[in-house]
Amino acid sequence: MDEEDKSVTRRALLAGSVTLAFGGGVAYLATDSGGSEDDYRPASFYTSDKTTDFGNGVDLTGRPIVGERDAPLDIYYWTDYLCPFCKEFETKTLPEVGRNYLDTGDARLVMLGYPNIGEYSEPAAVWGRCVWAQVAESDPMAFWNWNGAAFDAQVAGGNDWADEETFREITEQTSGVNLNSVEECRASRGEAIRRNLDADVDVALSAGIQGTPGFVIYNRESGAAGKLVGAHPYENFADALDQVREA
Amino acid sequence: MNDRLSDVRAWSRDLRDALAYPLTSNRRLLMAGIATSLTYVVLVLSTFPQFSMQVLSRDVTDLGFAVATLTRETYLSTGWLGLGLVTAYALLTGVALVSTVTLVRRARRQSASTIVGIIPGLLAAGCASCGAGVLGALGFVSAMAMLPFEGNLLRLGGIVLLAYFLGQTGDPRTCTI
Repeated sequence: MDEEDKSVTRRALLAGSVTLAFGGGVAYLATDSGGSEDDYRPASFYTSDKTTDFGNGVDLTGRPIVGERDAPLDIYYWTDYLCPFCKEFETKTLPEVGRNYLDTGDARLVMLGYPNIGEYSEPAAVWGRCVWAQVAESDPMAFWNWNGAAFDAQVAGGNDWADEETFREITEQTSGVNLNSVEECRASRGEAIRRNLDADVDVALSAGIQGTPGFVIYNRESGAAGKLVGAHPYENFADALDQVREA
Repeated sequence: MNDRLSDVRAWSRDLRDALAYPLTSNRRLLMAGIATSLTYVVLVLSTFPQFSMQVLSRDVTDLGFAVATLTRETYLSTGWLGLGLVTAYALLTGVALVSTVTLVRRARRQSASTIVGIIPGLLAAGCASCGAGVLGALGFVSAMAMLPFEGNLLRLGGIVLLAYFLGQTGDPRTCTI
């Protein structure tokens, strides 16, 4: 073997090792969940039929709202049950935001739809709205449990998990939610709910939100607003909330 | 039939030569490594451009956080296959870039027509990282839902085009015409 061949073999070994290390690093990042999940239960959860002043108006009717009615800050949260980033937000960041801003009466979180990830994104959002419609007045925490179970059902590597069967099972197994009533709502009110979801997406687009989870933080008194997109760490949320509150 | 078979053999031999080309000098290997890493970072950040821009404009040192978060997001959305395709795409781009640099240097010395031949290869990138975020940025809210296999088919298309380009190029120091 001459010197040039030896050099090529040496470089091939180096390239192979570095490629393996690169692949290993990518695999490590992919499977590292980056923190523990936190079981948060909001202190207050309610429904409203008002429309807020943000943009051309955000209709709150039929949308779940976490927090106190008179909280000065609105957090409009666009979500999709098929979106892994939304699950990251709900399980890792929302608990801290909830304890430090929602339960304290500083902000309220309005859950809006933005079905964009997979074929079943829109039907999944309709399931959610129908569950909320059924329990909003009587047992709002039942929706919180259903919402958590829907995100728990996510499986890595595609959207095949999301189908009629899975959501029927989640609904059936959530205490306080009646599957027959939810099915009845899907059949009779599905079209109207889809129009409401379209309205949510329109607000998101006019606010420049281009993916889920998307957030607009809105100070109802001063009219100041800020935008966050993606699963930002808690510190970014806290900074944004504080800035909009002071603005 | 035999002609086609020998064409395929010649193409795969050229592809092997093209893939081995960065091993021919330390500088080329380093260049391929840097180009691969940069391509991976750009591809992963571009899966959700709005999020990446927000994180980096807030603090540019959060690049590692953005790459780690979006790597995980890519895995959760598209599985090992999707993440593997993005990684393979980055590796092939690293090799293709080293080949292209050599070709461009040669073309400058020879004729401009070679550069015209290179451009389609460079543009044949396909959308290796198309995700809901990048489609959202283009104004397609539910386009992701319509892409077959969570966009993996599109990523595979990008890789096939790059492999085709490399197979056409072969060892860029030798003239294949």
